[in-house]
This record gives sequence, C-alpha cells and structure tokens, in this order.
Amino acid sequence: MSSLFLIIPILFPIIGGYLMIPLNLENKLIRNIYSMTVVCITSVLTWIALLKVGVVGTTLYSFTRGFSIDLRADAPAKMFALMVSIMWPLVMLYAFEYMAGARRANSFFAFYVMTYGVTLGVAFAANMTTLYMFYEMLSLVTIPLVSYYANHESMFAGRKYAAYTIGGASLAFFAVVMTSIYNGAGNFLYGGNLWGPYDPKLMQIVFLFGFFGFGVKAAIFPLHSWLPTASVAPTPVTALLHAVAVVNSGVFAIVRLAWYTYGPDVLQGTLALKIAQAFAIFTIVYAAGLAVKERHFKRRLACSTISNLSYMLFGVLLMTPEGLEAGLLHMIFHGIIKITLFMCAGAFMHETIKSYVFEINGVGRKMPVTFATYTISSLSLIGIPGLCGFISKFHLVMSGLGAGTALAHIGCAALMIAAFLCAIYTLTVTVRAFFPMDGTDRYENTDEYVAKEVNALMLIPICTFTLINIVFGVWPAPLTGIIEQIARGLI
Amino acid sequence: MLVLWLVFSPFIGALIAYGLGRRHEKARDYFAIALTVLELVLAVVLAVFNSGGGFQQYSGFLVTGLSFEVDGFKSAYAVITALMWAGTTLFAPEYFEHEKEGLERYWLFILMTLGATEGVMLSGDLMTAFIFFEILSFTSFTWVIHEQTKDAVKAGYTYLFIAVIGGLVLFMGLALLYHEIGTLSFMDLRAAADACPNRSVIRAAGFCILLGFGCKAGMFPVHVWLPKAHPVAPSPASALLSGVLTKVGIYGILMITLHALVEDFLFGAVVLIAGLITMFLGAVLGVFSVNLKRTLACSSMSQIGFILTGVGMLTMLSAAGSEEGYAIALPGLMLHMVNHSIIKLTLFMAAGVVVMNLHALELDVIRGWGRNKNRLKLAFALGALGISGVPLMNGYMSKTLLHEGIVEGIHIIHEIAPYLKAAEWVFLFSGGLTFCYMLKLFICIFVEKNADPERQARYDAPGPYMNTASAIAILGSSVFCILLGQPFLSTRLGAFMSGNHHILHFKAFTLTNLKGGAISLGIGAVLYLAAVRGLLKKDGHYANYWPKVLDLEDLVYRPLLAKAVFLIWCVLFRIMEMSTDCIIMLARKTVLREKHVKNRPRRFGLAGVMAAEFTEAAKPIVTNFSFALLMTCLGIIVMLFTIVYFAVL
Repeated sequence: MSSLFLIIPILFPIIGGYLMIPLNLENKLIRNIYSMTVVCITSVLTWIALLKVGVVGTTLYSFTRGFSIDLRADAPAKMFALMVSIMWPLVMLYAFEYMAGARRANSFFAFYVMTYGVTLGVAFAANMTTLYMFYEMLSLVTIPLVSYYANHESMFAGRKYAAYTIGGASLAFFAVVMTSIYNGAGNFLYGGNLWGPYDPKLMQIVFLFGFFGFGVKAAIFPLHSWLPTASVAPTPVTALLHAVAVVNSGVFAIVRLAWYTYGPDVLQGTLALKIAQAFAIFTIVYAAGLAVKERHFKRRLACSTISNLSYMLFGVLLMTPEGLEAGLLHMIFHGIIKITLFMCAGAFMHETIKSYVFEINGVGRKMPVTFATYTISSLSLIGIPGLCGFISKFHLVMSGLGAGTALAHIGCAALMIAAFLCAIYTLTVTVRAFFPMDGTDRYENTDEYVAKEVNALMLIPICTFTLINIVFGVWPAPLTGIIEQIARGLI
Repeated sequence: MLVLWLVFSPFIGALIAYGLGRRHEKARDYFAIALTVLELVLAVVLAVFNSGGGFQQYSGFLVTGLSFEVDGFKSAYAVITALMWAGTTLFAPEYFEHEKEGLERYWLFILMTLGATEGVMLSGDLMTAFIFFEILSFTSFTWVIHEQTKDAVKAGYTYLFIAVIGGLVLFMGLALLYHEIGTLSFMDLRAAADACPNRSVIRAAGFCILLGFGCKAGMFPVHVWLPKAHPVAPSPASALLSGVLTKVGIYGILMITLHALVEDFLFGAVVLIAGLITMFLGAVLGVFSVNLKRTLACSSMSQIGFILTGVGMLTMLSAAGSEEGYAIALPGLMLHMVNHSIIKLTLFMAAGVVVMNLHALELDVIRGWGRNKNRLKLAFALGALGISGVPLMNGYMSKTLLHEGIVEGIHIIHEIAPYLKAAEWVFLFSGGLTFCYMLKLFICIFVEKNADPERQARYDAPGPYMNTASAIAILGSSVFCILLGQPFLSTRLGAFMSGNHHILHFKAFTLTNLKGGAISLGIGAVLYLAAVRGLLKKDGHYANYWPKVLDLEDLVYRPLLAKAVFLIWCVLFRIMEMSTDCIIMLARKTVLREKHVKNRPRRFGLAGVMAAEFTEAAKPIVTNFSFALLMTCLGIIVMLFTIVYFAVL
C-alpha cells in the first residue's frame, strides 16, 4: 500500500504528460485545463503521500543484492517533494500566459508535466541506483525543453546540455556502483551507510567522481557552463527547472551522496572533501564574477544560480549538521528567490521582446509591480535582513565560522565577496529600471521600446513567491526548526 | 508599545502616504506632517517618561528576534531623529512645489527611513540595529538618486555599493561576534565580551563593525560617497542624510565601543586616527569647495571626524583607567552628535531655500543672493556660528568637551603624549578650518555682492522667497543652536544622555577652555583672510583649486574594481569558461570523430553492394545525436548487466 502512495505521484504526471503527445491538444484552453489538472492532482497526491507514508521504504524491483529500485519518503525527500509540489502549479500558471502565443506548445507542456514526475522520483529515491535512474531520466526529459525553440542557438544549447549531463552521469555512475557495492544499510541512512571491507582511499576518489558527476546538475566549476547556455529555453523552464528542480536535484543528489551514503565520519577531514569544498568556494566567487560581466538578463541570472548552488554545496560539504541545515535552507530560499527573479525577467522579455540589461533603462515606470518584486527578490538574494535570503546566508556564515577550518573561513569570505558582486549584478538592473539617467530612458516617446505591465496570470505567481519570500524572511522559525531536525537526523 | 509605534507607524504611514499621494498631493503633505509631528511628540513622551532603561524582547522573528531598549542617549536620539524629520517634512512641500516627477517615491521612502532610523536608534541588540540599518541604507538610496542627473546616478551607485559593502562587512563582524560570544544584546554584550578569553576575535569583529558602520558615518577611507551624495540629493533629504544617517553610523560605532571594546587601547587608537584624518580631510575639502551643499557635506564629514576622535579618546582613556576622562569624552561626543544634527538641519534647509529659488549651488552664481533676506541670514548665521564653536553657541560646548578629552589624554597616557599633542593641534586646526569655510559661505551669500551687477539687482528685488512653514522649520531649528549653547541646558542634556552626572560640574567658560576656542577661531580668521581671500579667489571668482585626481574613489576604488578585477575575469575566466567545452570538442574531434569518407573503396559482389547501400542509408542515423544517446544508454545497460553478473558471482 505504501509503495502505491509513492509511485502514483511519480507515474501520474509521466503518463499524463506522455498522453498529451498522442492526444495533441491544439486548443489552448483544453490543453491548459488538462495540464493544470494533471499537475494539481499530482501535487495533491504528493501531499497525501507525504502525510500517509512512513519512513519505511518499499522495493519495487530488485536486480540483485545491493541494486534495486526502492522508493521511500524520508525527511529530506519530503522537504524536496513538498517544495517542488508547491512551486510547480504556480509556475504552470505563469507558463500558460508565457507560452500563450507559442507554436508546438503541446509538446512543451507534455515534457513539462513529465518532468514533474521525474523530479518527484529523484526526491523519493531511496538508494543510489534509484536516484541515478531518475537523475538520468531527468536529463533526458528536459533536453527537449531546452531546445524547444528549435533554432540554431537552442539546438546548440540542447546538445551542450546533453553532453554535460550525460558526461557527468558517466562519472556519477562509477560512484553509484561502488557505493552500492559497499552499501551496508540498503537504503540511504543519515550519517552514512557505507559498510564493509572497502579501501578508504579508493572510496575518497569515488566520492570525487560522485561529487563532480552529480555536480554537473549542481553546476559546479568546471562543469557549469551548460547552465547559462541553457537559458535560451523558455522562461518557465529556466525559472522552474534551471533554478529549482533540475539544479536542486543535483544538490540533492550530492546531499544524498555526502550525508546519506558517506556521512561525516567517513568524510570529515579527508582530502577529497577539501577538494570538493575548494571547488564549491571557487565557484561561488567565480560565477558571481561571470554574472557581473554578463549583459544578457537571463544569462546573468543563470550565472547567479551557479553561484548560489555552490552556496548550498558549501554548506552541505561543511559536514556539520549546522552546515547541512544552512545548505537545505538555502536550497528552499534560493528556489523561491530565483523563481521570482526569472519570472520577472521573463515578464520583461515577454512584454518588450528585449533581452539585454541595457535595454531595461526606464522600464520600471511601465512595469512597476514586476520590477518592484524583482527588487525585493534581489535584495533577498544579496542577503538583506527581513527577507528570506538573509536567513539562509546567516546560517551559512554561522556554520562556516562554526566549522572552524581554514577553508570554511575562506568560504565565509567568499560568501561576502559574492554577495557584493550579487548586489552589483542585480541592483544595477533595478537602478536602470527605476532610475534611468536623464535622457537614457528608452521607454519614453519611442515606438521601438514599448512595455506595459503583464497580466494577472503572470503577476499572481510572481507576487505569491514574493510574499512567501517576505513571510519566511520575517518569520522563519517554523521552517528553520523543521530543517534543523532534518539536518540533525532527528526526523 | 510606544517604541513599537515609533518604529513601525512610519512604515505603515509611508504606504498610506503613497496611496494618498496618487490622488491628493496636498492631503499627502498634511498627512506626512501630522505623522512626523506625532512621532516627535511621542518621542518626547518616551524620552521624558520611559528613559529609565526599558528592555523589550520580541523573539521568534528573523534570526535572533527583535529587541528594543530605551535609555537616555537612545531616547534623546529618537527625539532628535523625529525632530529632524518634522523639520524637513515641514520644509519639503515648498521645496518640491514645482516638481511633479517621483514625489510619491520620495515620500514613500522618506517615511520608511524614519521608521528604520528610529528602529536603529531604539534597538536593544546589534542584530536589530543591523536589520534597520540595512533597511535605511536602501531606502535612503532613493534620495541620492532622486534627481536622476548624471551626477546623481553616479553618486547613487557609489552610495549604493558603499552601503552594500558596509552592510556585508558589518554582517561579517556581527557573525564573528555572535559566534564567539553567543549574544548581541546590549544587556549581556559587555559581560559576555569581558568574559571571552579570545580577545583577538572580538577585536577583529570590532574592526569589521567599525568599518561597516563607518561606511554610513562617512569615516575615512570609506567616506567617498559623502561629498558626492549630499549635494545631489534634494535639500530636505540632504539635511537628513547629513544630520541623521551619518549619526546612525556613529551610533553603531559608539554602541560596539561601549559594549565590547571600551577598554581596548588599539581599537581606540585606530578610531582616533581614522577620526583625525576624517576631520582634517573633510575640513580641507570644505575650504576648497566652491559649491554650497558640497561645502556643507565636507563639513559633515569633518564633524563626523570630530565625533570619531571623541570615540577614540574615550576608548583610550578608559583603557588607561581614567574615570574622569571617560566622563568628559562621552557626553562631549554625544552632545556633538546632537549639535551637528541640529546645525546641519538648519544649514541644509537654508541651502534648500537657495536651491529652490535659484536652482544653483555654485558660489559664484548664488553670491550676494541673501543680502536682504534677513530671516535666512539669521538662521544661517546661527548655524555657522554654532558649528564654528563660537562661545555661547552649541558647538562650543561639545567641542570644548572633546578638546578637554584630548587634553586629559595628554596628562594621563604618558607613553603617547607627544602624539596626542599633535592630535590636539590637528583638532584645533580643523576647528579653525571649520570657521574658515563657514565664514567663506556666509560672506559669499549674505555679505558680498555678485560679480554680475544685473544679477545682483535681480537678487536684491524684494519678494517672497520662503513660506511660513519653511521659515518655522528653519528658524525653529536654528533656535536650538543658541539653546544648546547654554551650559545650563547642555550639561543637563549631556548628563541625561550619558547617564553620568559628572558633567554637571563642568565649567565651560574657564580661561583655558576659552583659550582653546579662541585659538581655533583665530586660526580660522587668519586662514580665511590669507588663504580664501588671498589664494582661492581669483579675479573675484571662487575657483576650485582642488585637483580632480585626488579623489579616492576615482583614483583607487573604481580602477581597482573596474580594471584590475575585471581584467582577471575577462581574460583568465574566459579561458576557464571554455576549458570544459574544449575537452568536449577535443573528444569529438578525436575519439568520437565523424568519418568523412572521400574515395569510397570499390566493393564486390552482392554483399559488398548491400553493405555499401546500408552504410549510405544508415549515415543519417548513426551521425544523429539521438543515436549517440541511444548508444550511451545501451552502454550503460551493458555495464549494469556486467556488474550485476559479477555481483551475483
């Protein structure tokens, strides 16, 4: 019975999305209603599953000892699934408006809905083999979304995305096999499940393989450059998949690897961990620098995502419960923030058909709500108190100081530098939008630059996420309490 | 409850004002005036009835909760803040009369900043202070960029990024401190810091916090925004930027000093040096400046230096164990904060009157404008005299106390007495420069005649130049310059703020004290006659002799960020950016090379032909990307089965 609860939310959107292709729903209204229904039902099913299912896993299919397809909803899985299940319907709403005039929208929504199920699969995976399976499926199912526009640029982005993720998966595969061989507990276990006569040195190398393999989706340097390239995809894809679902799956996989397979006892103080930390810290500053010099609005946000993903990895790889808590918190909060930012960028691009930062000059007067929410989210991303980004940044810095190692201190400094760069790359947009220098306002008295506020379908998700942002920023206690328990392995 | 009202009602009021302003501008103005006056009344009530030390904690919010504390200094500054806002709000409607763009924005953010400033001033722990500090950093940014001219946008960016850096460094300091001693509350900070064995961490945190708050205070070397931002902001906002927001920075520095580092000699020495440089540099810049508001901004910077000098002396004196020095320096610097706020309110609003009539700030243009404007002349004179430290005016009291602090240091801390002697002379000389640039401004605007007689005739023509509300605001604030100059009042205020009654016995008008003031004023008068009239005025014009190159921002900060850092990113990072792509390309060209068959070998027989046909037909398939994917999947499956096979064995 328990297995049914978990497998239905995974299979339902996959089948529902797949059916859209033969059904070929050309009518916009029917298509929207159909896909929204599927997504909403999936979310409800997910919530039911989260309430009903205990932590005991269920084996769906067993290849052999150590290799089986298992599903389980333990605390981090529930957290990830809950986050995804709340965000998906909201972004769906935005997608309807964004994709209103697009051709082949049917196949877009088909894959978009299917991705939902696969992402839930990543969340509910109970061991490395299952995780790997869904992880690979996630790569495959999102490639058509990246190259959706089917022009030269999009096709290139799709190919690049595929090359990176599949290349990464081949690295991760090694780690999956090795950890599954020495898997003592069967399923993921807080604090590590390695058991047996393994060679510690070899397992350290395996960890690095796994880290960089799964790190492709978490956009760790030097495997990050697919993410800015992939921002040619439609905004609902960049907003939800490339800011939350796909990239957080990467981080989530690394959490599973570092905390639920290896565990702090095995990893703490090893060279492999230090290398991983160093790469994460470098990526934080490096990607923030990339974002500063990037002039394309969405690519700039994508670079910022790279930087922020490494914030999470930095927290997770501190291998202290406080660090894990901070990393998971940032995973949630960054998701909220970055979805809003991307949706605002998408709203701007949708309305004006412009995509470069210098073309923003003066648009704030025409689209006040969009850019006001954009500003709030950017302030949150920088880490201004009162908004949720501050909470996770506070936890990250405190856990970094608490870890006490030299690398952790360097990481704290990197966070500060990155936050400053973040202010440069996000707030220049705000200043351009609202305070254009005299004579540089592009939206005054021209026919070329026309903008008006986007309609309610787009504004509802944007405003909702901004509201969530503020609420968690002011009153984070309930959430941080739960995450702390997860990070300490208490629930 | 009163505290909560003081802090949060302006935020709510700001939204109401924004809504009102979209329909009735007049109603919005009246609403704003009513709100700020109510705020002032409530702040006074708070100061009078509840200054005994109330501490309120609201936990569960944000990270460490919010807490508010009321004591003499805090409640006094809550009153000053409300007073400044009431004054500028009274003045603003006339100032903005002819401006239509962006006023809603102005009112929204100005009222929000009031709430945030009260929040900082009444905060009960550093985290609360930090939260409101960040809010006011961003809300006040809109004042700087309000005019949206080229200068304003540039200054806006400078202000914004210095504010962000300040916030981050401050945050780092707070995190260090919180991690080390586990509390940020002003109640427990002192005890926890004293008990902490790890002094160096606390000191490091202290320096971070000093730099963070110093960014807002305009402390050298992060003062660069101040002389740029104050002149470009609308005058009511300049008054607040200069009068209150810099004090927010000082407030933070004072709080961390008093609560964690008050006996740290090194910290005190650093603050003292930073203060002396700020004080002197600001004063020199002020003398060179030929723009009314820029001079006032440089003056603000210089006065901040005076206050920081006081903080530095305070710390060094208490490190040396001097109770008496502490009891002089603390009220001295607090009084100077208050005095400077009040004086700058008067002066910037007076400058605002000039701007709204002439739309110009250059001394050459506005010269002679105020010759027959007696109310304005009086107010400006009082402000100028106050800040110059003329006896019986407010600046004299506080500067004398600060001076007394340095003298005390010379007597007590023998090891560095010669350096302190030098510091004393820098102090007196800077005081002289203050008098010098104030004299320059006053004589230029209110005494001299314009070089252009036609223009002078226009200036002399009688007519209204400010309405009653503005006159009340300006003259009302200037009255405080005299009131606070009376020892009877100012010693009481000092005792109230510092909670130390030692100052009540302070004799302001002894011969030694008067001598210090006289030296300063003498230096100022001589400098004015010699330097300003002799050297800086060319053919009757005020010329700007300050070399443009010597701008720390353009000289160091911007090149550092724009050239050095971005060179690294652009060159090094581009190579790194391509590294992975290059590997993939390399693999594609070597291992996964697509075959280009040029001369197809001849094939024999049916099988050969069929094979040739097959390869031809399969070409689109095997060179296809999906095929490669398929093969990858196959490979994975094969590997999986191999492993399964071996695992079973």
